[in-house]
Amino acid sequence: MPRIFINGQPIDAEPQHTVMEAARANGVVIPYFCWHPQLSIAGNCRICAIQIEDRSWVEIACNMPVSEGLRVLTDSDQVKAYRKSIMQLMTLNHPVDCGICDKAGECTLQDYHYLYNGSPSLSRDVKVRSTKFHPLSERIVLDNERCILCSRCVRFTREISKSNALGIIQRGDASLVRAAEDRPLDADPYSDNVIDICPVGALLSRSFLYKSRVWYLQPTPSICPGCARGCTVNIWHRKAEWKLNALDPAKNVRIERVTPLENPSVNGPWICNKGRDLVQIFERPRAEHAMQKGGLVDLEAAIRSARRLIDEAAHPVALVSNWGSNEELAAFRQALGARFTTLVKQDWAVQPGERIEDDLLIRADKNPNTLAARALFPIADDGGALDGATDLVLVWGEGFDFERVPRGAVIIVLNAYVQPENGHADVFIPVSIQTERRGHYTNFQGTVSAFEPCFPKKPSIADAEALFAALAIPEVEPA
Amino acid sequence: MSSTKLLMTFPVSATSHTLVEYRERGGYATLEKVLRQMTPTQVNDEITASGIQGRGGAAFPMGRKWGVIHLNDGQPHYLCANADEGEPGTFKDRWILENAPHLLVESMVIAAYALQVRNAFVYMRGEFDLPYRRLAASVDEAYEAGYLGERILGTDVSCDLVIYRGAGSYVCGEASALLTSIEGRKPYPRNRPPRLTVRGLYQRPTVVNNVETLANIVGIVANGAQAFRAVGTAKNPGTRLISISGHICRPGVYEIEVGYPWSKFIYEDCGGVRGGRQLKAVIPGGISTKVLTAAEIEPLHLDNQEVEAAGSSLGSGGMIVIAEGTCMVRLLQVMLRFYHHESCGQCTPCREGMGWLHRIIDRVVAGDGRPEDIERLYQISAWNDGTTICGMGDAAGYATSGILNKFRDEFEYYIDNKRSRLHGNLECLASS
Repeated sequence: MPRIFINGQPIDAEPQHTVMEAARANGVVIPYFCWHPQLSIAGNCRICAIQIEDRSWVEIACNMPVSEGLRVLTDSDQVKAYRKSIMQLMTLNHPVDCGICDKAGECTLQDYHYLYNGSPSLSRDVKVRSTKFHPLSERIVLDNERCILCSRCVRFTREISKSNALGIIQRGDASLVRAAEDRPLDADPYSDNVIDICPVGALLSRSFLYKSRVWYLQPTPSICPGCARGCTVNIWHRKAEWKLNALDPAKNVRIERVTPLENPSVNGPWICNKGRDLVQIFERPRAEHAMQKGGLVDLEAAIRSARRLIDEAAHPVALVSNWGSNEELAAFRQALGARFTTLVKQDWAVQPGERIEDDLLIRADKNPNTLAARALFPIADDGGALDGATDLVLVWGEGFDFERVPRGAVIIVLNAYVQPENGHADVFIPVSIQTERRGHYTNFQGTVSAFEPCFPKKPSIADAEALFAALAIPEVEPA
Repeated sequence: MSSTKLLMTFPVSATSHTLVEYRERGGYATLEKVLRQMTPTQVNDEITASGIQGRGGAAFPMGRKWGVIHLNDGQPHYLCANADEGEPGTFKDRWILENAPHLLVESMVIAAYALQVRNAFVYMRGEFDLPYRRLAASVDEAYEAGYLGERILGTDVSCDLVIYRGAGSYVCGEASALLTSIEGRKPYPRNRPPRLTVRGLYQRPTVVNNVETLANIVGIVANGAQAFRAVGTAKNPGTRLISISGHICRPGVYEIEVGYPWSKFIYEDCGGVRGGRQLKAVIPGGISTKVLTAAEIEPLHLDNQEVEAAGSSLGSGGMIVIAEGTCMVRLLQVMLRFYHHESCGQCTPCREGMGWLHRIIDRVVAGDGRPEDIERLYQISAWNDGTTICGMGDAAGYATSGILNKFRDEFEYYIDNKRSRLHGNLECLASS
């Protein structure tokens, strides 16, 4: 391992590392815009300038291989002066419109300006004007005036998502990031990652555009249930201290955006666009009240009825949800596993137009917890007819064709969302969704990740884990 | 002119570029000798011993560049002639391409043999029309005569030569951008390391040499390194093609021995400054080299060592003569407009800096200059000095600071009085 010295401090670097990587691995901060741990080295922003001791010029850390005895300075006067000049140049034609920019508050350019420059522009000339709100795709707009041409987005589409959808046209300070005409960014299911890796406010999510200032939001760690990969995500929602009372209280319990939660063992720093659109899954109309044959009842009454029906059944069959958490599935097995013939149901199938599978993240199984469910309940639901002797069917979750229920069998439905069959069930009990509880999923590799609650659960909705325990308590007949 | 000629050794005629006449002058005899009698290492040694420096601007010794290529390392090597002659003021390679295209072809096949190259390229700027037609015809002739292609002259050596035409971007003259352009991508220069001789075209060891540098190979190999060293100076042997333009009586391409007296070249060979005016300044080797005043060049010889000691460089040999009465503010404006227009936009200092320099000088010329503008021009030039991916940012900075150092009073006058101290034209009228 070559020993190098950063600011006089000895560091044992990996032989294949650059100075940038060695510094990061050892907690030394070197600023960067264009460098990204997952992308090739572009070396175009020049902010990572460092100085080799006894040399009179600066060089870039991101492209400097380590070598035995290398001695570099990251904060010499010359390096500081150079960084300051780079910040002057970066902001030369940047509109500095942080006040109306969605990126403000989490913008690298903003941070570095305060860290490394902090002085007004030296220029007295008009800025270069460029395109605002350029529609890069159905999901992304581009503000070319804010773009610093770091080429991260271009490299992402070439090296990670491999759609080759983006490129830079023109040259000099007229350069523009543009989408290729024949390979639109729309077809790239990973396109929204370029919004995250954009170090400035150039690439903007249309769905999040002007929705909220980021400092009003907090991230809650969660897991994307969109496929068996189980990418860890941050679900951004309004902070409790910024709760809206009069304006629009619905905003308090709304998912504002979803970003990747970096996780080297599952998804790295990326997620696909489906993970960004968890609103489309979680904010569908919710079933909020228990029902018996379509009539509203309170939750306690529904649980009592369900327990009695289970007790009375001779051949009960349960279809458990592979969207249930490890805890819920374990609770079902412990409380009801012996009572039921249990099949693992596929709650979600591939949607029309969706990418089925690729070698980056997306898996063909569009459910988050199939592996854990099958480990507890070996029989998979094959979608065929149920045993004719079945006299009770408990359906937990979505994706069940109720035509399959044998005539005369009793139906108990546990579901979070509104669907017509809820009203036809003998007992319907609304259950919580992932954003309202704590739990774990096991992804297709066997990696267990955790999710945390973002919003409170309504009292009329049951928590499945507690519900299964309640359903199993043998009813004590009054003497 | 009394100096030795190595390249301009024949009278140019309407047919002097053809294979027939090239063979009459002894063409392709050297190739035959090399293929039949010399090993690649012997050719390499001869080139290294000749001490020839690159003629494209950076004056890097060709032998040292070639020396990085490991023969028999089991991977393909590539050779590329840089015919993207885009440096303003430079048009010397064009002479070779138009009048001695077979000299380049023969030299490149020898170089390909020495470097174990199967596929060689000529990257030619898109604006070249006659040079392209001449070279393309020569390549066809060479293929037909068996000097290119499979089993050259019946030996085991094979080499293909492809002419690649650029679209006219200045930055394509930078070797790594040139290779990226051949690969079919946007010609952004590449970061070093790795050097192109380690990972160049298609990530393989690649030698990129200027057309004039390559054209000297035939002479070096034919007559031996010692004969080549007998010409020019000890440290910089050989001759240079100088393309001279601007306010000069006889502009054109001249071949001079390195070390030729500068004033003699301007006043005798080229007929002096046009219109009988006094010499004000000379840009020695393309606009990226620092301008020298008439007094500075007076004692100098056309030798890179001397010119570098005087704070400039012979660069690519594109000499621009500037007559007394020329407004240096306007001149700098023209130069900065060029650099702004040609900056590829990859790295920050050049992308933003060139536009900034250009906007400042435009404003100064429009009469809206401010006293701090001169400092700002210096500052932006310094920000580009040695800090960009390729040398273009440096070059623009040298050009700017070079003119400011020598003619600062003109800029101050212009800013204070909102007009040029001189009549302000850059053109020398034909009648004058």
